[in-house]
Amino acid sequence: MKIIKKLLMQLILTIVSIILISGLPELIMNKNVSMYFNKIKDVCRDIFQMNQMTYFNQGKPRLFLDDIWSPYIYSLSILFGALLIAFCMAQLLTWVTLMLPMFIRGAIKNLLTFLESLPDLLVFALVQMGIVLIYKKTGVLVSNVASMGAEERIYIVPIVCLMILPFVYFYKMMILLAEEELSKQYVEMSLAKGMRRIYVLVVHVTRNTSEGIFHFSKSVLWFMISNLLLVEIIFNIHGITHYMYSDFRPEMLAACLILLVIPFFLLYALFEWVIVHFTKRGEWV
Amino acid sequence: MIRSVKFWIGFFILVVFIISSLGFELFYDSKVRQVQLLYDDQKNLIGGAPFDPSLMFPLGTDPLGYDISHKVLQGAKFTLIAVIAIGVFRVLFSFIVAIPFAFYLPDNIRKGLDQLLSSFYFIPLTIVAVFILGPILREQLNAQGEEFFLYSFFARVSLEVIILTVLVVPLLGSMIGNMMASILKEDFIESAQLLGASKWRVFKKHVIPHMLPKLVIVWCQQCVQVLIIFTHLGYLKLFFGGTDIDFNPMMADPPKSMSNEWSGLVGDYYTQIHANPYIALGPIIMFGIAIYAFQLIGEGFQQHIQTRHVKKKKDVRLNKEREMKIEQKSSFDFIEKRGA
Repeated sequence: MKIIKKLLMQLILTIVSIILISGLPELIMNKNVSMYFNKIKDVCRDIFQMNQMTYFNQGKPRLFLDDIWSPYIYSLSILFGALLIAFCMAQLLTWVTLMLPMFIRGAIKNLLTFLESLPDLLVFALVQMGIVLIYKKTGVLVSNVASMGAEERIYIVPIVCLMILPFVYFYKMMILLAEEELSKQYVEMSLAKGMRRIYVLVVHVTRNTSEGIFHFSKSVLWFMISNLLLVEIIFNIHGITHYMYSDFRPEMLAACLILLVIPFFLLYALFEWVIVHFTKRGEWV
Repeated sequence: MIRSVKFWIGFFILVVFIISSLGFELFYDSKVRQVQLLYDDQKNLIGGAPFDPSLMFPLGTDPLGYDISHKVLQGAKFTLIAVIAIGVFRVLFSFIVAIPFAFYLPDNIRKGLDQLLSSFYFIPLTIVAVFILGPILREQLNAQGEEFFLYSFFARVSLEVIILTVLVVPLLGSMIGNMMASILKEDFIESAQLLGASKWRVFKKHVIPHMLPKLVIVWCQQCVQVLIIFTHLGYLKLFFGGTDIDFNPMMADPPKSMSNEWSGLVGDYYTQIHANPYIALGPIIMFGIAIYAFQLIGEGFQQHIQTRHVKKKKDVRLNKEREMKIEQKSSFDFIEKRGA
């Protein structure tokens, strides 16, 4: 019960801070504090009556909730897909890497530092250029590099773009945490008992590092939502951030951000519960 | 002395960028070379702008013939100094916020506050920054048809720095506060307190020396984050110090950066990615190099603090052995004298 209360508090605080932030441009444009509070009042009213909220589509007002569901689910599937694939690939590769000898691991870590410092925009540009290059050379169009309109949906390219850097971040973090864990005594003990290294790695080390990875994944997600905005603009995708960016009103920003936040919030609450149960710490992380 | 090679490589890259950029300003007045047509020795035309990267133009030229490497050189000082400044401000303010957080709040309240602040993880920084900085940095058009900015140049720059700083202080502050709290739980703090140390003395003599190396690493991470946000803002045509927008209804020029700083170059040239990919990639690659430099500094410094005591310990051991030898000698001497 206490847990639910805490989560509810967290959710409410998130929404409140989103609303407070969404009023800030008004404050900056007019340099007037009372107008800022008026704007915030407006935003609050709109958020509480979201089913009556309207937005302008080609000059005509339309109901916001009628139009938002399908692009919303599209954006979420891209984000979730990228996060899931990045996480799974990183986990598998970590297990493989940790079975390798030391000097190869060192080389991989140096390579990862290099990959980590690629700016995301460069990654998107290279993916774009790579697809065009493959098409020019072989005539095979791997995937459309841009969606043509609201109806056409591309999945592969945005997911690949979004997952590359999070994959690198996860991979590096997992290796670092697992190496730290491997130097602990219980690992030595279980190896001495005759357990296979892969078994210790997959079962014990992974379980004990899961908490750290979980906390780390929050900042990865933070980074990915920012990237989603860029990906949707670059590839001309009509997702939720398209609505956010094309109609830059505070109400719109607040509504879209709240919609984006809620599923991840629930997901993380679920994960936290699972991790507490699996690691049996008995302590709420 | 820091012995990590990584650290010095990263440091060297940054210093070279900034100093050469300042030198370019000082000695050449930041004059960007413009070559629209290129002739060989017999006055035959061999090419026209845009040029691809070559020995003559390391990063190529843009369609107007301006040398991009010169532009990059001119802009380096603005971008890098701004990034370093924002990084320092972020760490400094978060550190100040973290002091009462770690020293005066009881454990359970701190944990609760920490949980509440972690809700900021769900507010993506780029979107919020674009949203807030938009009205500040974009040139506007008034009723008389004049272009104007809402704020002066100085106010624009300082507002951008302040906003990019303040938006991360809650998260960073709670992170640094937790680091500090974990230092305060160490045994030596307790013994210091038993010996009568005041809070100020504990802070000055124990917390600061332990926090400083960690803060340097946090600073590097923050600089990387700021650089990434700059590329995003640049792509979305919000340039550091203001975006010069041409409101001419006929054939308007694309939005321009006012000082050739890097995020402006990214925004200016990214649209050419399909026609002249090398031109578009140049400034982004420069960003990549700067990010790599900061990463190297961070990693090198971490190596340094993990290994800095190793050599010292060896020295101490050697000295002890030497001392023991001397002692043995002297005692041996003493006995001989007594015997004599």
